[in-house]
Amino acid sequence: MSDILTVVFRTFMSHTGLKTDLAADPPPPAATTRSALVVGDHSVSRSVLLLAAVTAASHLGLRVMFFTRTQIQSLPASLQKCVPSLSPESLKFLFSFSFKKIKFSYPRTVEELLHQIASLHESTNTSPTPPSLIIVDRLEGFLRGHSELHPGEQSCAAHLSALLCDTAAFLTQVLEKRPSSSGPCRVIASFRSQEDAGQAGGEPSATDPVLDILDRYFQVRCTLDQDRGYEAAAAGLQQVWNIYLSGRGIADASDTKDCEDRPAEAQEWQLLIYPDGLMEFKVV
Amino acid sequence: MRSRLPAVAEQLFRDIQKTYEDTSQIPDDLLIALKFVFGPCALQALDLVDQRSVTCLSSSSGRKAFQVIGGSGRLYTCFVSCHYCPCPAFAYTVLRRNEGLLCKHILAVYLCQAIGVTQQESVSDQQMSTLLSGTVAP
Repeated sequence: MSDILTVVFRTFMSHTGLKTDLAADPPPPAATTRSALVVGDHSVSRSVLLLAAVTAASHLGLRVMFFTRTQIQSLPASLQKCVPSLSPESLKFLFSFSFKKIKFSYPRTVEELLHQIASLHESTNTSPTPPSLIIVDRLEGFLRGHSELHPGEQSCAAHLSALLCDTAAFLTQVLEKRPSSSGPCRVIASFRSQEDAGQAGGEPSATDPVLDILDRYFQVRCTLDQDRGYEAAAAGLQQVWNIYLSGRGIADASDTKDCEDRPAEAQEWQLLIYPDGLMEFKVV
Repeated sequence: MRSRLPAVAEQLFRDIQKTYEDTSQIPDDLLIALKFVFGPCALQALDLVDQRSVTCLSSSSGRKAFQVIGGSGRLYTCFVSCHYCPCPAFAYTVLRRNEGLLCKHILAVYLCQAIGVTQQESVSDQQMSTLLSGTVAP
């Protein structure tokens, strides 16, 4: 799953934002990495998820399901200002095209979310094309609500994560049978641990029991860690975030036979957020 | 079931499958290995296998899930491609305490698949969605 995230980071590397050249570097083979968990501040992670959705839809032509509890009121500035060279009408067309491939859903409870994900195999959701990317924003918001199904957050987290992975595996099988396959089906979710929420600028805690459960099911962890050094302010940036890709999905990818033929996927990135909200990624 | 087991466990199930194909039984050495790898739930899982407690549910969309009748008669829905069971043992022993690889229900699924005694049943797409989400008991 780090392949789509890497495409996002590469797409938004230059200061001009979204590349008009759609022949961007193709994602590396995603044979083993199909699920990624973005861990960190939810405002930044939400922007990353939205960038992933639009990038997947516009660059890769994928159909996307985006689940979130909160209505999306605005797009990241990087999308709004992504292509200065395009006219407003062209930009509108680009977004319209992209957003036709993205379906937003706003389940209110974890039970609703579970049912909506469990229903993705039904024909109403797989016609004309099954989704190739499932995104769930702010897992903690769903998991920490009252659940009649589960006695605790860990059990609920496991059920939700397993359902996402199983659903993605099924949809991958469906996609691979189609002539114009856009498989495999991938999952990206975001999560903010309670410890991380309580610390000012602290690292996402590795001791969060729910995070431990999520790590069982998600192959890649994408950690967002704010850099609170003085360099950010000195550079006129609003925020600087360090991005680390880790997990067995990264280790497996580096062990593949292709690693000799193609450059290894960058595991460390940096996210620069300018005062106007523009986001720019760079390889570390 | 797509495996996320250690290699030793995967090999054990392959050995059980091959031996059972040839002899229609699981020899003592493989039973001992089963207990060694999976602990106390191995015997409980074998009981479930003897009772033919595992059913593979299929819907018209092609989606599948396993349903296991537990010792108390309760039904547990398990996934095809990764490990999850709604039983208390999975929540406590596997998830919370990280002391076991599987619960007896998931192990019973592996064993039934290995020796070919999984029951088959068809359900509607909507029933499958309900079972997978766990929102209503079947």
